[in-house]
Amino acid sequence: MKLIVEKNVYSLEAVEKSAYRFIDRLTILISTDNENIICEIEVVEGAKEGIENLIANFKRELLDQQLRKQIKHETESARNLILAYAFSRTGLQG
Amino acid sequence: MSKFSTLDKYTPTVGKYELLPFRFESLDNDDVVVTNFVGEFVILKREKLNDVVGKKLLPTEETYSLLRSRHFIKEASDSASIELLGLKTRTKFSNLRNFTNLHLFVVSLRCDHSCGYCQVSRQSENKAAFDMTEATADKALEIVFKSPNEAIKIEFQGGEPLLNFEIVKYVVLAAKKKNEVQKRDLQFVITTTLALITDEILDFCKEHKIYLSSSLDGPEDLHNQNRPRPGKDSHARFVEGLKKARDKLGYDSVSALMTTSPASLGKVRDIIDEYLKHDLDGIFLRHLSPYGFAIKTKSYKAYNVDKWLEFYCEGLDYIVELNKQGIRFTEYFASLLLTKMFSANDPGFVDLMNPSGAGISAVVFNYDGDVYASDESRMLREMGDTSFKIGNLHTNTYEEIFTSEALLNALDDSFTMSAPMCTDCAFEPWCGAEPVFHHAIFGDVLGRKPESEFCKRIMGVVKHLLKKMQNDPEAKDIFIRWANKC
Repeated sequence: MKLIVEKNVYSLEAVEKSAYRFIDRLTILISTDNENIICEIEVVEGAKEGIENLIANFKRELLDQQLRKQIKHETESARNLILAYAFSRTGLQG
Repeated sequence: MSKFSTLDKYTPTVGKYELLPFRFESLDNDDVVVTNFVGEFVILKREKLNDVVGKKLLPTEETYSLLRSRHFIKEASDSASIELLGLKTRTKFSNLRNFTNLHLFVVSLRCDHSCGYCQVSRQSENKAAFDMTEATADKALEIVFKSPNEAIKIEFQGGEPLLNFEIVKYVVLAAKKKNEVQKRDLQFVITTTLALITDEILDFCKEHKIYLSSSLDGPEDLHNQNRPRPGKDSHARFVEGLKKARDKLGYDSVSALMTTSPASLGKVRDIIDEYLKHDLDGIFLRHLSPYGFAIKTKSYKAYNVDKWLEFYCEGLDYIVELNKQGIRFTEYFASLLLTKMFSANDPGFVDLMNPSGAGISAVVFNYDGDVYASDESRMLREMGDTSFKIGNLHTNTYEEIFTSEALLNALDDSFTMSAPMCTDCAFEPWCGAEPVFHHAIFGDVLGRKPESEFCKRIMGVVKHLLKKMQNDPEAKDIFIRWANKC
């Protein structure tokens, strides 16, 4: 089946990460056009859940990944500062 | 210089917050667990998480102060938050600076047992070719004392190390002699079934303060089924050896480990009761690993991670109930994870370390002089896979061994902070890289985490612990006690 998501709502990175998390249950081929990201989805042989349930969970994962991306982006400078404090005066700075 | 601060210094900052780095993972449909940079955690409703990120959280809410105190959010005036997270990060990784603590000496691959799940592929008793020599032991000790770590633990492994007790004695005496100058905090452990323990061996252990780490798989029938030996008396010998060792060395000088065989499934309460019967104060509900005879005899394939989780969770719930009745008893795997969840201290358990503890935290000297990055690495070697051989005592220097490509590549390639899926996983601060397991299953040290039984196992146990704490405050108190053991 095909799942189409809008590029201005979801990033390609969020779609890729979601697809990776489902790698044991879904095989997802990702492509893009001007406005959309297109996911061609097949259920992996032997998967315990039905496709409807899997797709619903995949959509939830898309939201989570988009949120993770937002948090990561917003906290990037804090993360770098924490690491700078953590490794200051260790002699590892070069 | 002006006598007054500029106007912006007087702008109210309360209620205006910034996000600090955190990750989240879904617990079930409604709840998410959120972990900060060093693994401190909070469980939130999903809508609340959206409020947090959308900056809609009100300063009057309980969640606001909780998240602020645990460094998930900060107000502009909270200048200490980032420094504190930096300090905690430093504490969390402080073990790395100390480098190798645990040095495993495989003094013999011979064994008097013939366990179907043996992960080290033991050899029959009469093959002296599988014993460590004095020349090899000398070389190993040279490497041991090159470690910068103040604390050095030497653990004798097998096979059954007591079958080559002469070399155990040799290593202990030689190490103590070296330590007269080195002045390290030196500790010895023998991993033994106790089946071959004698008064003479115990006298030596007492004189040199050697701890014994033994094996108990459960009640007599299960233990003997798992651990066959001539005479079918493994359990009886363990019980007798345990008593003798405790009488001679003291009660706390002997511990026991169990392995979950296919026959153990469904019997977790009986196994725990057996531990209680022998006054042991805890148990490590240990799964089988995909090495050695565990693969050859198909024991490893006989149960999957779901079955083990069922076994584990039933056991953990039972142990919690025992504690509620006033019986102090610990499940050690949970205790390791909980220490990471409730403190910035890393308990230094190789499987739960990132970068992997292989080589860094522990190193293995095989009977033949080969050096391996971990116990599991030498188990792979007995299956013909030498991917994690990091050198040889007779031909390589300390520097060559610990900077070998085999070690550095494994550590680098499996680092969870840059591994797909791990990098975004809220459980990453509590988890480990486990390159050897993933290599054994997937053929590469990273593996695909969604398909990894290691990942499923850690996620399963952590989620069970979190849900239990959420629904049962008494269980949470017990878990906090386990995490803060002296």
